[in-house]
Amino acid sequence: MSVEPGAPEGRGSAFRRMLTGTAGALLFPFVAILLSFFLGAIIVLATGNNPVTAYAALVKGAVGSPLALGRTLLYTTPLIFTGLAVAVAFRAGLFNIGGEGQLYIGAITAAWLGVSLGSLGPVAIPIVLTACVITGFLWGSLPGILKAYFGAHEVITTIMLNFVAIDLAYYLAQHPLRQRGPIPGTETIDYAARIPTIGTALGRANYGFFIAILAAVVVYLLLWRTRRGFELRAVGLSPGAANYAGMRLGLNTILALAIGGSLAGLGGGVEILGVYGNMDVPFVTNLGFNGIGVALLGRNHPVGVVLGALLFGGLTSGAQEMQFATDVPLQLANVLLAVILLLVTATKLVELIVGKRARDFAAGTHLEKGLGS
Amino acid sequence: MQDLIGAIGPILQSTVRNATPLVFAALGGLFSERSGVVNIGLEGLMLISAFAGVVGAHFTGSALVGLLTALGAGLIFALIHALMCVTFEADQIISGTAINLLALGGTGFLMVVIFGSGGTSPRVNGFESVAIPLLSKIPVIGAAFFDQSLLVYLMYVLVPIVYFVVFRTPFGLRLRATGEVPEAVDTAGVNVARMRYYGVALSGLLAACGGAYLSMGLLSAFTEGMTNGRGFIALAALIFGRWNPIGAAGAALLFGLAQAVTFRVNEQTLPIEFVDMLPYVLTIIVLAGFGGRAIAPAAIGKPYRKE
Repeated sequence: MSVEPGAPEGRGSAFRRMLTGTAGALLFPFVAILLSFFLGAIIVLATGNNPVTAYAALVKGAVGSPLALGRTLLYTTPLIFTGLAVAVAFRAGLFNIGGEGQLYIGAITAAWLGVSLGSLGPVAIPIVLTACVITGFLWGSLPGILKAYFGAHEVITTIMLNFVAIDLAYYLAQHPLRQRGPIPGTETIDYAARIPTIGTALGRANYGFFIAILAAVVVYLLLWRTRRGFELRAVGLSPGAANYAGMRLGLNTILALAIGGSLAGLGGGVEILGVYGNMDVPFVTNLGFNGIGVALLGRNHPVGVVLGALLFGGLTSGAQEMQFATDVPLQLANVLLAVILLLVTATKLVELIVGKRARDFAAGTHLEKGLGS
Repeated sequence: MQDLIGAIGPILQSTVRNATPLVFAALGGLFSERSGVVNIGLEGLMLISAFAGVVGAHFTGSALVGLLTALGAGLIFALIHALMCVTFEADQIISGTAINLLALGGTGFLMVVIFGSGGTSPRVNGFESVAIPLLSKIPVIGAAFFDQSLLVYLMYVLVPIVYFVVFRTPFGLRLRATGEVPEAVDTAGVNVARMRYYGVALSGLLAACGGAYLSMGLLSAFTEGMTNGRGFIALAALIFGRWNPIGAAGAALLFGLAQAVTFRVNEQTLPIEFVDMLPYVLTIIVLAGFGGRAIAPAAIGKPYRKE
């Protein structure tokens, strides 16, 4: 079983390696995005609309005005967190499909503490968000422990734990934490204890976006500037060699998934304090699953994750304008995102389009290991 | 006591109804995973089929045509998964996740395009309950098992058939071998890619039956996101049943029973959320307890490259 995430290993000078690395990093996402938009254009045509008009409206709705830009940032923020949650685990050779549930754990933590500590005002914000990091960390460590000590594959356990987390959050939101009133959900958090908006020009966009950027920087520093990060990446690149070098596989497995959990958990907290103010049942869905697409599009690098999240966020934001300007339902954005995810790891497809060298670029999108081994 | 006996019939009936879509999807997942292709897209396969079934039934007025369009949609989506995983060597987990998101986004999109708005589709003619003479008259269990829709009877028949096909036919042997040691299958002159296409295609058709049952058996309309995690519960049943059709069907019935019982007891005693967790928690325990690696087909998740 070979595990091969990380930068492709080119030959030749460092400069050339960098070039192939960057080219490879751009090639797969580029092909996936292009094909997805091409397919989207066909769908738009099929609905009797002009693809050029639709896409122009899409772009305008994403970045065409301060208000549109603010909306894009609003949708981008949680995807940076869930994308990072996938990327950190991936760098350590692990698949974290649990972002969805980890985000819910953070969100219910914030919904609960935000109400309890609301009277503290802005002071409550860092306390609540720290708590989200901790609960996310603990929840994320579960699949790590299950893998390290019991051999249960993290793909299946993170999927299953998603539903456990969602059910748990919904139970808490509907029973012990339920608000008085007809709508199922928690009490609303005092405005003083919420993350403030950036400015009226940008609409509802809030400082949570900068917390997300900060998280991306921290992830970069952790992975590439600390000994622990070196270990995590070494374990991801070659568990055998890392083990031989005295690195503890079990500990690094648990840490990678737990750190992923803390990032998604923080994302859930930022959604509650920045956007929703409480947890309604049902709560926003698929932020965790779309984080997988964001991470893969961004080649599991923090910079790539931010760019991938901006693309996903922009599409979601622009689709509203597209629906307004044409008859194309805004759900088209979800279709485009799904198609991008479908194609972004399709090694042979890219090979067909750009020739045999594609395989050299493929490293970084595959964890080639069976669920059974 | 009299109350309890009186409740057994309805509880069993509800158990069978809850379990039916799970059994279909789990059997589907079994074919795919036994051939070596992970299928976490069962949820999406069910959802798109549930939708396609309602579209077919809506425009023709026939539930049978609805079933056919459901099968068609399930097959197409499964073939997309196979194309990605087998031919293009995309990651199977990623492709499965994408199939789920594509079905969710696609049905949301098509609801607006076809029916003019999201939410719930118009009502369609579904599969009515058909009581089997004599059998349905058995006290307590008769109505529960033998006064159900045709799709439920199809499910009863399919469990032993799938068992027979997988464990007693040359096709089943090749399928299982493809999921365990594809190199050996290749050496024996069997086309690994083709076997995997068969496995994934069958998973699409079976999951489609589950989807059709949701929108044309349990209900008579499509609601956005109506699968509501059932594809993942089916995946849990498959693992809990250790990739065996009888085991998977048993697990699905157990999960169905847990839901049925909860609907009857007071919500204050046992919150529904904890019952909903049960399949997932049990699956994690099974995976951890049996050391997950030992039971899954050995080559599952890996693209096969001819050397």
